[in-house]
Amino acid sequence: MDDSNIVGLSANREYAKWAHRETNPEEVARKPEALDDTLVLDLSHANFAGLFASSLLAEMGAEVIRVEPPGGDLARKMTPYGMMIGDAGLGYIVEGRNKHHVTLDIAREEGKKLLLGLARKADVLIHTFKPGHLEALGLGYGPLRESNPGLIFTAIHTYGQFGGDSETYSNQPDYDIVDQARGVIMSVTGEPDLDPAVPDAYKKPLKQGNWMGWYAGGAWAAFGIQTAMLHKRKTGKGQFIDASPPEGLMAISNYVMQYFHMSGEQMPRAGNYDYAVFPYTYVKCRDGFTFISGFSDPNWSALCEIMNRPDLRERFPSIRERLTPENQPTIQHEIEQFTVRYTSEEIQQMITAYSKKPDKKGTVVSGRLETSGDVLQREHWDVRKTFVRVNDPNYGEVLVQNSTFKSMSKTPGRIKWVCRPIGADNESVYRKHLGLDRQELKELKENGVV
Amino acid sequence: MDRGKSPADRPGDLFDKEKLFDKPEPLKGVRVLEVCSVVLGPATCDYLAEFGAEVIKFEGRKGDQMRYVTPYAWFWKGMSPGLEIENHNKYWVGMHVGNPKAKALFLELVKKSDVVVDNLTPGRMAEWGLDYRTLREVNPKIVQLHVSGYGSWGPWTGRTSYDAVAQSMGALASITGFEDRGPIKSGVWIADWITGLMCANAILSALNYRERTGEGQFIDYLQVENVIRLLDWTWLYSSRTGEDRKRSGNRDLAICPSDLFDCLDGRVALAAFSEEEFRGLCEAMGQMDLYGTYRDPLERLRDGNARELLDRIAVWARGRRVEEVEALGCRHGFAASRVLEAKDVYHSDHSRERGAIQEYEDPLYGNMVQQCYPPVMSETPGRLKWSCRPLGFDNGYVLGKIAGLPAEAVKVLEGEGVIFRWNPDVPSQCPPPGWDGKSGVKTP
Repeated sequence: MDDSNIVGLSANREYAKWAHRETNPEEVARKPEALDDTLVLDLSHANFAGLFASSLLAEMGAEVIRVEPPGGDLARKMTPYGMMIGDAGLGYIVEGRNKHHVTLDIAREEGKKLLLGLARKADVLIHTFKPGHLEALGLGYGPLRESNPGLIFTAIHTYGQFGGDSETYSNQPDYDIVDQARGVIMSVTGEPDLDPAVPDAYKKPLKQGNWMGWYAGGAWAAFGIQTAMLHKRKTGKGQFIDASPPEGLMAISNYVMQYFHMSGEQMPRAGNYDYAVFPYTYVKCRDGFTFISGFSDPNWSALCEIMNRPDLRERFPSIRERLTPENQPTIQHEIEQFTVRYTSEEIQQMITAYSKKPDKKGTVVSGRLETSGDVLQREHWDVRKTFVRVNDPNYGEVLVQNSTFKSMSKTPGRIKWVCRPIGADNESVYRKHLGLDRQELKELKENGVV
Repeated sequence: MDRGKSPADRPGDLFDKEKLFDKPEPLKGVRVLEVCSVVLGPATCDYLAEFGAEVIKFEGRKGDQMRYVTPYAWFWKGMSPGLEIENHNKYWVGMHVGNPKAKALFLELVKKSDVVVDNLTPGRMAEWGLDYRTLREVNPKIVQLHVSGYGSWGPWTGRTSYDAVAQSMGALASITGFEDRGPIKSGVWIADWITGLMCANAILSALNYRERTGEGQFIDYLQVENVIRLLDWTWLYSSRTGEDRKRSGNRDLAICPSDLFDCLDGRVALAAFSEEEFRGLCEAMGQMDLYGTYRDPLERLRDGNARELLDRIAVWARGRRVEEVEALGCRHGFAASRVLEAKDVYHSDHSRERGAIQEYEDPLYGNMVQQCYPPVMSETPGRLKWSCRPLGFDNGYVLGKIAGLPAEAVKVLEGEGVIFRWNPDVPSQCPPPGWDGKSGVKTP
């Protein structure tokens, strides 16, 4: 590879070259996998928190058996505007990675037996059913633990498996929108309450644009599973993990809980302002929006110099003036008067040029507000293999985001295949783990069990 | 009585919070050296610390930047709430790791540690002579994670990232917001927190591998790429259609119905995608004609159909109270919930019973009530032991007990300015006013 593509803007070229050699994407396939001794059953039902958790483990090399009902899981149909590629929607193709896909009707006696057989061998089981559902089928943690004390039984649901709300709301399914609504972050995300220029109709809670409730919930579940795996490696013991996606969001809701505890007050929705760091905001520019910052005193001085607005520095000299809901719309407006005259690239260049001045006052950071189409065209992501384009025998040419664990020097995460059709791995999985032959499988199929 | 049920059918017993401190911590014995500032790096280590890792945090003279980042420039007992949130159960050392005289001491600690985390400019640790090759020489089992916006190599390596940059460069901001309005950044530093969480996952994978093989490794983690990873179907959609993914407010473009609706007395988040759930919703609404027309989930996702259906639900919800819709969700098996705010969760018995909100007495700051990181675990639960600390608060403990330096050697290092404590003129570096000089001090 061309050196300039490796060292980029690095102040330490040797380090960049070394890091490239250590984490070269071309060598990923030849390296070992961190979790390739781990067997995971993913029973996720219409739920991307469970699917994302098992994706992370699968990227790290775990053998993930994805158990769907005979008609396929409803998550396959969660796809924008109903777009399908064969039997899978776009969301499912992204999170089907590296998983062995089998079907099983766990409500039938024969199906239960097969699941018990698989669970006896597994290290991890993930499910997202309503609390009590598996227990009612006789497939709760109790019986599974009896036959496999090392099992890490992971239940993901909005309301958790115990606690007052878990009982009251146990007949509600888990959805991203509700996970976000109960995760507190949504209550403080959205257009600014205290900006008179915003119409009232928009002053309401706003979800994060992606399935953040599910993705954060899944990442927390994987985190719990991996800590439990370490404990299991040392003690042989499994355990019950109760992962509630809203708790995954509220745990990372900045200081809203602390501030309430300490002051008795709640934080309002701040929109693109931020009452703890400002300027630290998205501003209009000639070709869209860009981020711009300069919140500590030296950095604010630097931004005022770049804009040639010493008057602003005098008017808002310290964070006490810059962190009030009253002043932030004014400061925003003043900055935008400058930025609307330039493209995001021109602003970035001005900032870079300023950063090289010997008498610079501080550091200003910017970053274009990229659309999804922009991101797909950037050389940096191409060079880092942030996306992989696969020509899949079942789904054709598809582009999906790569594992973000791919830059681990010894055990990089990877994508081995993107997805599999419903029940495509029945034969190999049931043979490998339960010793079923073709005839037995045929009977199960005829009885509608698989 | 639930006498006849197995323990698993009463999972509350498995998670009895009275036994929290009797249970083992899954990361006990894992020592982490944190050379981090602001949110992302410290959060990575915080997740590990609440599950038992011994995290030693190093600060320079000025201290972590979060000592000065706090809502409305407001401080509590001299402390910055912005610093509190990503720093629990840690040991605090005032030592600039880049000071040449600190190098030997740091490497001495590396010998006795398991993980080193930094979120500095890529290559900064190497300039200080603390590159992975050097760390590995003194401790072949060491796991080193470096996290930055764009990673350690590539055309954009060296560019600065913040949370809001990662949200914008990774396109999360462009898909968050109302359809006919501008992009909105998250109300929290979401790209810091979730990237930290994925960093913790990477570290745990490395530790699991090390448990099997004894081998450590180097991890390069990219914050902006992490945001990209979490945007579900965005990339496959854009690559196939050639179009940008658009903002759609609270409407889910891939699940219908799934949206936030206005009620008489507030708002309700509602979703019902399966045929069965959707039938339940139509029954609750008393509008079975909708079920006839839109029974098929894929049909419902077509843009025109989705808009019509969501309008019908909106009209219905407008005449209902939130509690009523929630109860209908429970009865008819669809999802419906109000939007919770900080005070709701703070006061929630459910959250306290689960240990998602924990209350504890901090020896410096007194009573604390705050969230503990999930998930809830039956054998090895996470826990809050103490809050953030003044600069250099645990110098004596770390240098004496862990590095094994005699008291005189510590004095010499202090005299040379290699290690230091809070500046009395900067309140947010200091203990709270009225501190007795002993509370919270860990003695070697």
